[in-house]
Amino acid sequence: MSSRGGKQKKGNVTSEQEEEEQPLQAVLVADSFNRRFFPISKDQPRALLPLGNVAMIDYTLEFLTSTGVQETFVFCCWMSNKIKDHLLKSKWCRPTSPNVVHIITSDLYRSLGDVLRDVDAKNLVRNDFILVYGDVVSNIDVSQALQEHRHRRKVDKNISVMTMVFKESSPGHKSRCEEDDVIVAMDSKSKRVLHYQKTQGLKKLQFPMNIFQHGSDEFEIRHDLLDCHISICSPQVAELFTDNFDYQTRNDFVRGILVNEEILGNQIHLYVTQDGYGARVSNLQMYDSVSSDMVRRWVYPLTPEANFTDQQGQGCTHSRHNVYRGAEVSLGHGSQMEENVLIGRDTSIGANCHISNSVIGNNCTIGDNVVLDRAHMWNNVHISSNVEIHQSVVCDGAVVKEAVRLNKQCYFSMLPVSQVVIGPNLSLPEGTVVSMHHPEEEEEDDDDEFLSDDQEVGHSKDKTRQKAFNPAEVGPEGKGYIWKASMNDTEDEELAQCLWGLVLNPDPESDSESEASEESQDRSRSVSPEIDDVNAFQLEVLGTLQRGLEENIVCDNLVLEINSLKYAYNITLKEVMQILTRVVLEYPFQQQGTQLTTLQYTGSLLPLLKTWSPVFKNYIKRAQDHLDCLSAVEELFLEQDTHQTAMVKVLMKMYQLEILEEEAILKWFSTGATNDKSRQLRKNQGLQKFIQWLKEAEDESSEEGE
Amino acid sequence: MPGADKETDLTERIEAFLADLKRGGSGTGPLRGSGEMARETTYLLRRITAQARWSSAGDLMEIIRNEGRRMTAAQPSETTVGNMVRRVLKIIREEYARSRGSSEETEQQESLHKLLTAGELSEETFREHFVHLKANVIEAINELLTELDGTTDNIAMQALEHIHSNEVIMTVGRSRTVEAFLKDAARKRKFHVIVAECAPFCQGHEMATGLSKVGIETTVIADAAIFAVMSRVNKVIIGTQTVLANGGLRAVNGTHSVALAARHHSTPLIICAPMFKLSPQFPNEEDTFHKFVSPHEVLPFTAGEILSKVNVHCPVFDYVPPELITLFISNIGGNAPSYIYRLMSELYHPEDHKL
Repeated sequence: MSSRGGKQKKGNVTSEQEEEEQPLQAVLVADSFNRRFFPISKDQPRALLPLGNVAMIDYTLEFLTSTGVQETFVFCCWMSNKIKDHLLKSKWCRPTSPNVVHIITSDLYRSLGDVLRDVDAKNLVRNDFILVYGDVVSNIDVSQALQEHRHRRKVDKNISVMTMVFKESSPGHKSRCEEDDVIVAMDSKSKRVLHYQKTQGLKKLQFPMNIFQHGSDEFEIRHDLLDCHISICSPQVAELFTDNFDYQTRNDFVRGILVNEEILGNQIHLYVTQDGYGARVSNLQMYDSVSSDMVRRWVYPLTPEANFTDQQGQGCTHSRHNVYRGAEVSLGHGSQMEENVLIGRDTSIGANCHISNSVIGNNCTIGDNVVLDRAHMWNNVHISSNVEIHQSVVCDGAVVKEAVRLNKQCYFSMLPVSQVVIGPNLSLPEGTVVSMHHPEEEEEDDDDEFLSDDQEVGHSKDKTRQKAFNPAEVGPEGKGYIWKASMNDTEDEELAQCLWGLVLNPDPESDSESEASEESQDRSRSVSPEIDDVNAFQLEVLGTLQRGLEENIVCDNLVLEINSLKYAYNITLKEVMQILTRVVLEYPFQQQGTQLTTLQYTGSLLPLLKTWSPVFKNYIKRAQDHLDCLSAVEELFLEQDTHQTAMVKVLMKMYQLEILEEEAILKWFSTGATNDKSRQLRKNQGLQKFIQWLKEAEDESSEEGE
Repeated sequence: MPGADKETDLTERIEAFLADLKRGGSGTGPLRGSGEMARETTYLLRRITAQARWSSAGDLMEIIRNEGRRMTAAQPSETTVGNMVRRVLKIIREEYARSRGSSEETEQQESLHKLLTAGELSEETFREHFVHLKANVIEAINELLTELDGTTDNIAMQALEHIHSNEVIMTVGRSRTVEAFLKDAARKRKFHVIVAECAPFCQGHEMATGLSKVGIETTVIADAAIFAVMSRVNKVIIGTQTVLANGGLRAVNGTHSVALAARHHSTPLIICAPMFKLSPQFPNEEDTFHKFVSPHEVLPFTAGEILSKVNVHCPVFDYVPPELITLFISNIGGNAPSYIYRLMSELYHPEDHKL
């Protein structure tokens, strides 16, 4: 047995060396699987939303290319056609591109988990790969992290499965997304993650003590980390997602790995960088801060004037106070661009305007006396005179009529696509969202949300036409529907939620993939499994085995069933093994009453052990598993002290069936005694003899070996 | 089709070079130092000459001009790239003229008559086909490459003429040319070097380590101490990123304050700059004169909340006006700033100043 194991390990090492010469691959998930940017994202996938007049996915691809990625798989789901068109036109798909981009589309992806399961099914990755979302903006040099990751995998023989890249930034930083706030406990020397918890909405944090009891003597608990959503994964990550079909997000995965760390032997590491910039545009608040960071040149060399997408006419010039101007920009008399302003090409601005901290897209027209502060305007926006816009997003083709005020402290007003018209003479309160899509139409469409393509969107537009626009909401000449009215003070909490999550959809069920379910999962995970669960699980396992015996079910299927039970009751692998052992050993008592003689007991138990040995073998793999199993056996026989003599036979049988290894038994025998009772147990004559026999057998085999 | 293969290979190389340029330019990206940049550009231009499809000098010049425009647009702060493109264009003009048998001298000279009849000797006259033109041009580019390889040594060789025993010399930041210059002098003479650290990048630290390794007595000072220390200094020797057409400098941040302090104390300011750094650009001619990088070095990202309340800028270059400069030491000898215009007309053809 042991020699075979050695060979396998050697095989792994050589294959790893071969792998290193292969090109670096990346998996880019061009879908958010949530609806934070709704209703904008109804017409435009999130990865294509412009950030500084460049689609977000271009930033991600540039980041990957500059780190030396040679092959990128882009997974699209929602509006995959648009993403595909965009990529085919971009420089990434030119034959000279150093980074080969493959586009994989499917309507069936509902989460990151689905994507990675597909990666595994299609066998796309052969080596360590970088996993990012299509809305990550970064200039971090991950080659160092990559090197560390490879080194760890070489030294520890594939134990480390993932290295997450984090950026140091103190709490309160505006580019820190509150949703992603995490607290991480890690081993200072090996950078191994011991505990990982999102802190959003938590007032108390709990750390299991056992994480500090092994490993090195130095630990760090950090809250000053910004999750860049860049992870370096080994190919096992995709396999693990396949094995655990309940993993939906990376958060599930990380928590799953950490909980099962001792059983599966997989570890997750951390790479903390101080240089560079990395953030994910996960909601509108982040959109605002990443956009302003970009204009302030934090993401250098990915700056607006660099024109890294290599598109004709996209270039712009950079002058003092971070003012960027595209080609053919006209600026009226007395207009001021104060600071941090980006203006796209062919945009004309009227007289006496004040613009600061804003991004204005291509082909926009802006009238006289306009005040823009922290405004994000996309392409083809038309703004009439005397308009004031503060901290708002105005999407493609929107028209804002005269004297409209998108209010100060108004969080984002979204006026997405297809000629939304606002005004004149209107003041929109904070948090207003205006769209050409009617909010109610959402509920009707919800079922086929993810399947609907452009056609259907057009179809739904026809529907909306039938409903009248409310002039009180969008102004006398307005076109569009208010999605969310102003917030009162009493709704503070909701406002906060809207700010961070912008939960716009009135129908929570349709959010099945998004934060709502994530949170509920988190909650159930964070609570430790209760006793009731364990008992219920035990009963279920018993039922399963019983049925297996009656209906003659194959052991593989039994394993599958027990695995799914494990997730249903949230049981760790260690507990599964202990419970399984206990259930099997108690099985004769369950079936034939507790008044069995020892002989009857062993007589009925031993065939059972033989039948179910594949089940045991599935769960008992590592040395620690053997010891755990033995201690479970011991515990049971301590309770059933009349049957202690049967223990030897059970152990003998398990040894013969190769469920348990002799080394483990010997180790258990020599070290396991903790109290008087178990010491008593070890003095049992039969057991002594068995151990003696084992030792001799071992000597013989080692002699043979020589 | 081997021809097609060659062409895709060529475009791939050009694209890769452009991407490298965009990702940072000298010092930060894969290309380090303007010497390296100049060599890489020239290699690439030689490859274009050898592999691109052209039949006459005019075609070739058009191709090189196009690629040159893209290269300079990719990283406008790297003037070296544009300079090398201009040098190669000049080479093509000269080789063409030689093949035709006309003398180079007459074509060089500007005259009133020539200005009046301008446009006569433009691209149209480069249409003639010569069999040996390609080989000659490549040969001339090879000569240029040899010249580039020797620049640092040529400058360093002049060190003993400028540095005397027991002098105190100040320098700022890190320049490979100045480092070689000082090291060369240190073989024969003993002197003291004061290095201004040049915050926020602090390349001065690297420079000081390099100098002290060869046994030069070295002191690092903060940038704020430059003026105070200047009274003890005999000479200021610095490098530069670009020498501008008016004889001014575009050099690393902090150089201007060094130059002003030197002027106040009447200390000579000597610039070590190889000829390939000489650019026909004038100061404030374009918006691209300045280069701003990530403010990370000034105020680290980890600072947190404060970042949303302040604007942080991190410029890289300073402009030093020509009147503050005493002497340029290039690979072809020492020159005063007022002589730069003459060197310029020798190196580049006037029609190539704008690519």
